[in-house]
Order: sequence, then structure tokens, then C-alpha cells
Amino acid sequence: MKVTREHYRSVKDLPSAEFVAPGSPLCAGCGGLTTLRLFHKVLGGKVVVVNAAGCMTLMATYPFTPLRSSWLYTTMASPSAGAQGLRDALDILIESGRLPADENLEVLVLAGDGSTIDMGLSSTSGAIHRGLNFWYLCYDNEAYGNTGFQASPASPLGSLTATSPLGTPWSKKDIFEIWRSHRPPYVATISPHDAVDLAEKIERARPLCGPKLFVSLATCPPGWGFEPAMGDELAKLAIETGIWPLKEATDGSIRHTFIPEHRRPVEAYLEPQRRYRHLFHPDRRDDVIAAIQAAVDRYWDAAIASERC
Amino acid sequence: MSTQTVRGAGLEQRSVNRDGFGPSGPSLRIRVRFHGRGGQGVKTAGRILGTGAFLSGYHCQDFPVYGAERRGAPVASFARIGNRPIDERGVISEPDLILVADATLLDDPAAGVLAGNEAASALFLNGNPDAPLPDLGNRLHLIRWDLTGAAIGRLGRAGALSAGLGAAAARFVGIVAEEQLVEAIRSEFTHLGLSTGEVDANVAFGLDVFRALPTVSFRDVAETEEGLGDSVVPMIPADPLAGGPNVISPGNATLRDTGAWRLERPVIDRDRCTRCGLCLIRCPDGAISWDEEGLPVIDEQHCKGCLICRQICPIHGIGLEEEARP
Ligand SMILES: Cc1ncc(C[n+]2csc(CCOP(=O)(O)OP(=O)(O)O)c2C)c(N)n1
Ligand code: SF4
Ligand code: SF4
Ligand code: SF4
Repeated sequence: MKVTREHYRSVKDLPSAEFVAPGSPLCAGCGGLTTLRLFHKVLGGKVVVVNAAGCMTLMATYPFTPLRSSWLYTTMASPSAGAQGLRDALDILIESGRLPADENLEVLVLAGDGSTIDMGLSSTSGAIHRGLNFWYLCYDNEAYGNTGFQASPASPLGSLTATSPLGTPWSKKDIFEIWRSHRPPYVATISPHDAVDLAEKIERARPLCGPKLFVSLATCPPGWGFEPAMGDELAKLAIETGIWPLKEATDGSIRHTFIPEHRRPVEAYLEPQRRYRHLFHPDRRDDVIAAIQAAVDRYWDAAIASERC
Repeated sequence: MSTQTVRGAGLEQRSVNRDGFGPSGPSLRIRVRFHGRGGQGVKTAGRILGTGAFLSGYHCQDFPVYGAERRGAPVASFARIGNRPIDERGVISEPDLILVADATLLDDPAAGVLAGNEAASALFLNGNPDAPLPDLGNRLHLIRWDLTGAAIGRLGRAGALSAGLGAAAARFVGIVAEEQLVEAIRSEFTHLGLSTGEVDANVAFGLDVFRALPTVSFRDVAETEEGLGDSVVPMIPADPLAGGPNVISPGNATLRDTGAWRLERPVIDRDRCTRCGLCLIRCPDGAISWDEEGLPVIDEQHCKGCLICRQICPIHGIGLEEEARP
């Protein structure tokens, strides 16, 4: 099932301008980079990116930057505090007439899951609480990618990371629900695989004033262990297996923008990735695979039941 | 593989008398530097050499260095081997042996592949032995060999060269026996979590290389001994202002040549393309754009060769060409 589209029918309708130039030093096939490029394309060029330490800060290595917009680098824990400072400065400059209103910029936080879900959560929680008018994009590669793929609270159940060589024993922290519980005007999950869904969500959020939050599954070839060419296929499998639900919450009420009616078994998504190989070789770990499947089934049973009533 | 030939002045099927260099023999120290791109395995190659030397009874160090960049960016690793304890520390600026996994690095001044080559006894270049070469200076023994071809033959893919590169280094250095090399490859790959089948394939790849290449002669031991000093090589601190991008030149990353990161190149079949635009949307780097005829065109200076475009093209209209490596 797909929701009706209000702004873009197909990828052909997306704006043609690019605000992330080629030539960045990020990995070949980085799904986080695809997300950022598409996000920026739709959001437009009048943006200041507030970027917490992580893979994406490597976009800009001396003396190069792929961004055609402005950029501020912050510590892992404080991108939303940086966004508050920029938003306030822009507002004051415009209000006092020192900056023409048409030179206003959108403030966009760009942060990995480690920063978003762990260290930076308190500054974001504060910013949402204060109703800061900003955009937040988390590219969730499910680990601390930049420093060697250590486990983060976004690392999913059973996945291998540098610090969980036997597989993580926990489930991902649910950042969508943590954000939603603050009642911001808009929260969404997006995927580099579905550019139209991503673009539609930006358009739906655009008129809203306040925190507009997005989390994207960022396929990561070296961290997850797959050939870069498979990146889009894995992003698609995450949606088709139901592991990565595409949804949004406007003023707190949730709607799924795609409901996979005939979900593929989670193995289809897990097996191609080296971080899950121990679940298949040398012996199949049916207990762990079943636990992952059960969590997905539970999620969708509840989601479908509530969405139908 | 007909392209696999060995060439270069001063090579010999030599005869290191390993016992002669044993702990009680004359001092021996060999400094090795590997260059490659992130993902090609120079770090593991260094470890294989170091472990192989250690298992053969020598002292050794091995360590990599990489910057903030990612897969495909220039990476180096180092190994020191000797028959006495090694107190020297730091990067190797005057190596005895240089191994280059990717000859496109010769064109990248920042990679510094030839830095200190005047002191080196030998330079190994992975690549076609007949391709034209830039001026390398004439004091090097040059060994050109198609390691990538050998990797494709054994592993079925070009990407990870570490077992072959480590085996080549072990062979040139001449003090690691076949048995210890195999043990080193096994231990390094098992440590990386590879399956038994993959470990075996890498051992076979390493042995192919080890048996095909000769050892090289190094500068006189006495000469080496002069430079034996156990010092800490100073790292020169960088200007803190050089730590960030030039944000007043937005989009200047286009000046970079990330196209050199590719091993294989996607090629669009312009006659069959339906102009659906999916490749353009899904390219992580935005390296595809529409041309005047309304067809997608790939920016070869920047395409990193992830091949997502090829994988997702609904009509399978994107082919593949092996990148011509120098
Ligand atoms: C307070 C603090 N601790 C540690 C670091 C080192 N560090 C830099 S990037 C990074 C990983 C960031 O992970 P994540 O936010 O998930 O982004 P990714 O690297 O995956 O893009 C770490 C630990 C830091 N910069 N600041
Ligand atoms: S490590 Fe993963 S998230 Fe980081 S740049 Fe590489 S592909 Fe992207
Ligand atoms: S191979 Fe990857 S980087 Fe190159 S054009 Fe295709 S999608 Fe873009
Ligand atoms: S995906 Fe294939 S058919 Fe579509 S525009 Fe690209 S090359 Fe043409």
C-alpha cells in the first residue's frame, strides 16, 4: 500500500539542482550520502548545515567541501545547540534589518545515529522542547561509523560491530518514538531507496514551524559488509521485509507511507550482510533470526491494527 | 594469465642465507612501505608480512596510517623487520622496499608513493607490465606484475589484494618461508572473521604470488647498518587551520579526482536507455547528470565505481568495463 502523492509523482519531478557536489571523500556507495544529496536537493540551497562529528564531517576535508551551502561543524553532543545559535542569529539579523529576509537560511542538523541517539540526544530534546524551528536529518548507519564501526544504541539485535563481535544483545533505541513523545510538529523515517517518499515528506514538513525531524536508514558497505553495488537493493529489502518502516507523525499522529502487505522474511535482508553472517554460518542461529522476525511481526501487527481503525 | 610477467633490473633468484641473518648474525633491518587505496588491504598485507616474519623468528613492527578519508582514498602501511629488537618508531620515510597496490597512486602527489625512493632497493608495482610509466628515477629495481589479475583468478574479484600483496612482500624480503607465510595469512584472515573457504582461497592466492615472484637483493647489510639507528621519527604537527575545509569555496570538491578510486567503470548503453532517471537519483555522489540529448551521462572524474547505477537500472542498460590501470 502506498499513500497518495501530493507533490511529486515520480523521480522525474524532483528538482534538478544539486547542492552536494561530487568529489567527496566518503565511501563509494554510501547510503548516507545518497540521503543527504536527495534531502538537500528537495530542501533547496538556502541552507546552513550543522554537522555533528561523524562520517559526514569527512565530506569536508581540507581544503575541499562538496557542499554548495553553508556548513558549521559541531561536537557530537551539540548539533542542536549549534542550530539554536544559528537560528537565533539569523532571526535577530533579519528582525533588525541587518540581513534581508530573502537571505534567510533553513537550519539543518546533520548527524549520525551515535550523535543523534546517544551523545546528542539531550541537546536535541531541549531544542524540540523549546520548539526550535529547524530541520534535523539523522543518517542511521547503525553504529559509530567514523571511528571504526563500534556499537551504538541504534545497532540492531544480533548485529556484529567492532565492539559487539558476538552480536548486540539489545534492540535499537526507537528514536522516532523518543522524538514523537516530545510532540514536535513533524517526525518521519525515510530511505535513500525511495526518493519520492523522501521528497513528499520534506514538502509536507516545509510549511510547519518548529522541529522537523527525519531519520534515514543509511546503508553502509564497509560497516555492514556488502558490495557497494548492493546498497540500494538492501535499502529496498529493509522496506520490503518491514525492518525499516516508512512513516511520519504529524503533531504526534502516526501514518505509514508504505505498508508492506506481503512482507518478505527478514533473512532476505540479513543474509547478504557480513554483520549478520554468524546467524547463518557455520550454523544457523534460528533463535536469533526468529527473534528479529518476531519483533518485526509484532511491530506491523500493531501498526496495521491501529492504522485500520 | 599471459599478462603475468616479472621484469626489472637487478632481480635474481636469490639465495638469502636466512641463517646468516639469524639473531646472532650481522645486523639486519628491512623497512617496507605499502601503498594502496582504502579497501585494497594494505593494512592486512603489512600484518601478514609482520606476522610471517615474526613466525620466522624475526623482530618486527607493522602499522597502517590513514587520514580521515574512506574506501578508495590513499592509504599506507609500514613494516620493519630485523634480527635485533627494533626501537625505531614512526612512519618510514626511506623504505628499502615499496609496494604499490594501485598504480594510479603514482599520479597523486599527496599519496607520496615515491617519497624517499632514492634509498629503496626495490619498487613493486601492481599492474600491466607493458603500460607506460612516469619517470620513477633510475635507482630503483622495478618489479611490475599483475597482482589484480592473479586475485581475479583465485578470488574471482579484484577488490581485496592483501594476501597477494603480503605474500609478494614476504617473497621479496626473502626471510619468510612458505610455511610461515601460510600460517600468517591464515591467522590474519581468521582474525578478520572470514569463512574457512575464503581463508583457503586467500592462502592459495598468496601462494600463487609467493611462488611466481623472486626475492630481491637489498642494499648491503653494512650500508643498512649505518641507517640502523633506533630513533623516533618525528611527526611534524599540521597547521590547525589546515584542519577544515575551505568553506568560502562551496562545492570545490569537484576539483578532486575521486574517479581514480574505481576498479570498474559503469557504461550506459545510450541506445537502450529509457531515460527513467533512476540511475541519476540513486548515485550516491551525484556523478550522473542529463546531457543535451536528454540522456544520462556519467562524470568519470568523480564516479567512484560503486556500481549502484548498474545494479538498479530497470532495463539492465548499464554495462561494465574494467578500468584500464597503468
Ligand atoms: C564526545 C566525543 N567522543 C568521541 C568522539 C570521536 N568520534 C568522532 S566521530 C565518532 C562516531 C560518530 O558516530 P555517529 O554519530 O553514529 O556517526 P557516523 O560516524 O556513523 O557517521 C566518534 C566516536 C568525538 N568526536 N566526540
Ligand atoms: S563508513 Fe558507512 S556511513 Fe561512513 S562514509 Fe562509509 S559508507 Fe558512509
Ligand atoms: S558507479 Fe556509483 S558513483 Fe559511479 S555513476 Fe554509478 S552510482 Fe554513481
Ligand atoms: S537507470 Fe538505466 S534506463 Fe534509467 S536513465 Fe539510467 S541508464 Fe537509462
